[in-house]
Amino acid sequence: MDTVAPDDQISGLPNMAKNGEVKNIKKEERKVVKSKSPVDPELRQKVYNILGKTKHPLSSFLVRPHVFTFQEKDEEEEILVALRPHWITNVGWILITIAMVLGPTLIKSLALINGLPAKYQILGELFWYLTTFAFAFEKFLSWYFDVYIITDERVVDIDFNNLLNKKYSEAKLSMIQDVTSKQIGMGQTMFNYGQVLIQTAAEINELRFDNIPNPDKIVKVLQLMREEEDIEAIEGRVK
Amino acid sequence: MFDVGNILLVVEKVIAILGTIIYLIFALVIVKQVTTMTHQVKDKFNGVLIAFSYLHLLFSLLLALLAWILL
Repeated sequence: MDTVAPDDQISGLPNMAKNGEVKNIKKEERKVVKSKSPVDPELRQKVYNILGKTKHPLSSFLVRPHVFTFQEKDEEEEILVALRPHWITNVGWILITIAMVLGPTLIKSLALINGLPAKYQILGELFWYLTTFAFAFEKFLSWYFDVYIITDERVVDIDFNNLLNKKYSEAKLSMIQDVTSKQIGMGQTMFNYGQVLIQTAAEINELRFDNIPNPDKIVKVLQLMREEEDIEAIEGRVK
Repeated sequence: MFDVGNILLVVEKVIAILGTIIYLIFALVIVKQVTTMTHQVKDKFNGVLIAFSYLHLLFSLLLALLAWILL
């Protein structure tokens, strides 16, 4: 007796489906999981309308990045925006690097080290350029890996200071109590960057996003996300 | 009798070689740290940064060798 309904995929598969069909079904299942976003589509659209678009991959303001990810990210978690300090904060070390590159030429023109043997001069120059590269590289790394991330579930702060210190802090959106932004001085106002302070009810009671571009947009997005979290809590949809 | 000039040259050589060796260790720390950083945060330019850290290590090694040979 055939007690299995013809459209019952699970029991029908071993006898009927070829390998290709099984793969197709698995792919479809995966697609469904991928498109299952925990964020309300309307809210998500609102958030992306506020944030705008990323102009280039080295931007300090990566909206919905495709390549960017971090180790602690959950599979279904969506990164809304990844932030780095504003590019203008790099100007200081770039100018110092240029001065360091020009240093040996200046010293030679002033004939300050002519008394040293030639081999010491060559080694000294090579050592100087290598140190200059290391200085610039370290500064770039400190900027590149100083990231603040806002996902649909939490805010994350990853810091690498002076190559030797690593700091990771995060707070769930539902734990955020208060968000404030600060823009101090002419530079921050002109280039539209500043600090965002996030007070939380978590163990780490404050997260600080330093020198990030468009702090007002970040505050608005966090407010929206918090409101959504509150509605979820009221409706009992808390994950 | 001691030749002061010779002693000074030896001291200079030892200091220079020690300096380049310490720098080599620093270059190794950079490689290790870049690997850790790129493991933690993945982005488009991670490969380039790893390549730069290894290039820096290679040049530091060459400098140490050069100091050993030249001085």
